[in-house]
Amino acid sequence: MATIFKSRQISRETSLGIILIFSVGLTGLINPRFLTGDGTRDLLTSTATVALLAIGIAPIIIMRHIDLSIASTVGLSAWVIADFCAKNPGFTWVQCFIIGGIIGILVGALNGLLVAGLRLPSLVVTLGTLYIVRGAVYVVSNSVDYNAQEMPPSLLSLGQKVFFSVLPFPFLLVIIATIITAWYMKFTKPGRDCYAIGSNPNAADLVGLKVFRRTFLAFVFSGFMAGIGGVFYLMRFAQVDSTAFYGQELAVVAACVIGGVTILGGSGTVVGALIGALLVQTIQGGLAALGVDAFWKSAINGFLLIVAIFADRRLAARSERALLSQRIRERE
Amino acid sequence: MQGVDKRFGGAIALKGADLSIRAGEIHALLGENGAGKSTMLKILAGVHVNDDGKIRLGQNDFITGSPQASINQGIAVIYQEPSLFLDLSLAENVFIGRQPKKGIAIDWDFAEQEAARLFNELGVQLDPKRPARGLSIADQQVVEIAKALSMNANIILMDEPTAALSASEVERLMTVMRSLRSANKAVIFVSHRLDEVFAISDHITVMRDGATVSESKTSTTDLQRVIREMVGRELTELYPKNEHPIGDVVLEVQALTNPAYFRNISFKVRAGEIVALAGLVGSGRSEVARAIFGVDQYETGTVKIKNINLKKGSPVDAMAKRIALVPEDRRQQGLFMAAGVNRNISMESFDQLKGKVFLNFKKERALTDIWRDKLSIKFVNQSDPVDRLSGGNQQKTVLAKWLATDPDFLIVDEPTRGIDVGTKSEVHRLIDKAAGEGKAILMISSELPEVLGMADRIIVMREGHQVAEFSRKEATQEKIIEAATTGKKGWSLGNHI
Repeated sequence: MATIFKSRQISRETSLGIILIFSVGLTGLINPRFLTGDGTRDLLTSTATVALLAIGIAPIIIMRHIDLSIASTVGLSAWVIADFCAKNPGFTWVQCFIIGGIIGILVGALNGLLVAGLRLPSLVVTLGTLYIVRGAVYVVSNSVDYNAQEMPPSLLSLGQKVFFSVLPFPFLLVIIATIITAWYMKFTKPGRDCYAIGSNPNAADLVGLKVFRRTFLAFVFSGFMAGIGGVFYLMRFAQVDSTAFYGQELAVVAACVIGGVTILGGSGTVVGALIGALLVQTIQGGLAALGVDAFWKSAINGFLLIVAIFADRRLAARSERALLSQRIRERE
Repeated sequence: MQGVDKRFGGAIALKGADLSIRAGEIHALLGENGAGKSTMLKILAGVHVNDDGKIRLGQNDFITGSPQASINQGIAVIYQEPSLFLDLSLAENVFIGRQPKKGIAIDWDFAEQEAARLFNELGVQLDPKRPARGLSIADQQVVEIAKALSMNANIILMDEPTAALSASEVERLMTVMRSLRSANKAVIFVSHRLDEVFAISDHITVMRDGATVSESKTSTTDLQRVIREMVGRELTELYPKNEHPIGDVVLEVQALTNPAYFRNISFKVRAGEIVALAGLVGSGRSEVARAIFGVDQYETGTVKIKNINLKKGSPVDAMAKRIALVPEDRRQQGLFMAAGVNRNISMESFDQLKGKVFLNFKKERALTDIWRDKLSIKFVNQSDPVDRLSGGNQQKTVLAKWLATDPDFLIVDEPTRGIDVGTKSEVHRLIDKAAGEGKAILMISSELPEVLGMADRIIVMREGHQVAEFSRKEATQEKIIEAATTGKKGWSLGNHI
């Protein structure tokens, strides 16, 4: 298999992987339970939703856009699914996935039309839809909450299903989604177009790339993943109210950035985003094991993010120098 | 193309322009900045749509409207600023939008082999797997040409392909252009370097004010006639250099070293003096200038302005001590392309515009008017984004911006790159005038006639070292070329007019 970005990308995911293994090991030293099957399962279960969303927005960030509406979409999707299930006792997990997917696609299509069609800045558009969608949840839910008894048993048991004694079903889906998306981003024309558009939007127009279609579909994809994220939410918590997943969009963006998906567009991978999500969760677990007050959690998350962006800039500067001197060597 | 019109808002860019190109020829498109050459290319490229007129390709009508449509009709464009994707590999840049497939997946191995083969054909060693980031403009162009070849384009448009190239790179490009011609492709290129135009083109079309002035075989026309047609008048004096009294030392550089780019550079520039830094592209000239101004770091050495040490790596300090740097790349480094002409000109002169509390916009308007008149910059409204100005007017805007700060020491890096003969001579006059006002000037230029015509003293750099210094009297083209290349041939003689 041809490696496309020899120097930077491969070392990037590898080094992130090493940091992940290191922090898992360290956390395991402090709290041996962390390394058991139970501990790993907990880690993967708690990471699944954020990881799924990170895979969803990675292509968008690669295209130099952003989608902030995803957490609200998770909330809307989770609540509407629960509502449908409560009113239709015959529903199984299949309907849940279908409803979640459709809701996500609708929100994504709205974002996509506004960003790609009207060429509005995605930061503002999705900040708007963040509030609109969350507002919609407040309105439709009318303060009604749903609990486990209203959910389809098949959905809840699916959420509890574990493969190879450590791999929860949602995370299995995450892995499948990662593989497909990673392959798509690297080996198909639309996938490569995402990188091109994020790398140089003007040139993308000049060489005749289908910028509208790619951008639109990326937002639909991100919305779809958020809609499925709603199903994940129900599988994990078995209850939902109007504030479900409130404010988590930034955790997803943070996971991507920590995973090396450059906020300036053009580089990063889905695999990196997944590792980023796992890393954030592991460090959280480690801090909990150390007995660090939960209130510090968000402060430490923020600190991590800044460290990551710093490392990212340093690496970028270094590889740019390396590329320059490589060319000089080639000339001589 | 026949009777092509194009209007942008109220501005008429093209007014009945004609152009006809045959397969297997190299066709030069000439004209001053703003004559409509770039607009013509952009219509063919599918970026703009013509308002009127007919364009035919062979037997068919040309389908305008989108870059993709132009690509499908076999037209490839190489823009003045290469439009590569810096994060993507070279192979990918060559095949962007048309990646070869194996089944449903992209066949990267094939893409890389093909790209390597094309680079080889063009005679350049480039690793197809490396990202485009870090490539010189010349190398980036090679990638663009490889892209055009891989598209099997029949018509290849090049907008000032040689503007940023060194002599050997120009040679290389010309070889490539000739081989394209023998492959029966049509090459259209825009250039301001007339010696190159006469060296390589088969036909010349001259445009002025949006219309075609003449189309002729290169062998049947001559330099003087082409210039006359471009300018619409006779150019008498190209290098209006006057003798000025030379005053005290303004800038003193001692043993300046940054091992990556240059070593042990020492020189002085006096008031009223124009010193040229000559040498090949990549010899470290621009880097020295950037280090003096503080944009880049240097490791050892000192820079003194009027005998006071300058802080290392601090453009703020440099500006406070009245240094100005007009950078080589006006679009990237010199201007805020989306901001108005007035904002750009006043950008560095806030002190002059201060009101009691806020900026005084009346003063800004006045300042802009002053510099518009002094430099005869052409624009419609003061608030027009500089993006809309022609290249020559953009260059004058950068100059105005820095001259407005009334510097003691002015660095101009490639001050006339990519601008037409008439504007060129105006820029030269401005630089000379600045020297006459007692400013010390350091000029970096790749065009030898410009160096010889403008400089009082010439310092030659080669591979990061200061290798020779000539006074105005001693300097000849041959001596400078020899010093810059150790006898290697192929220095561009630049624009002879």
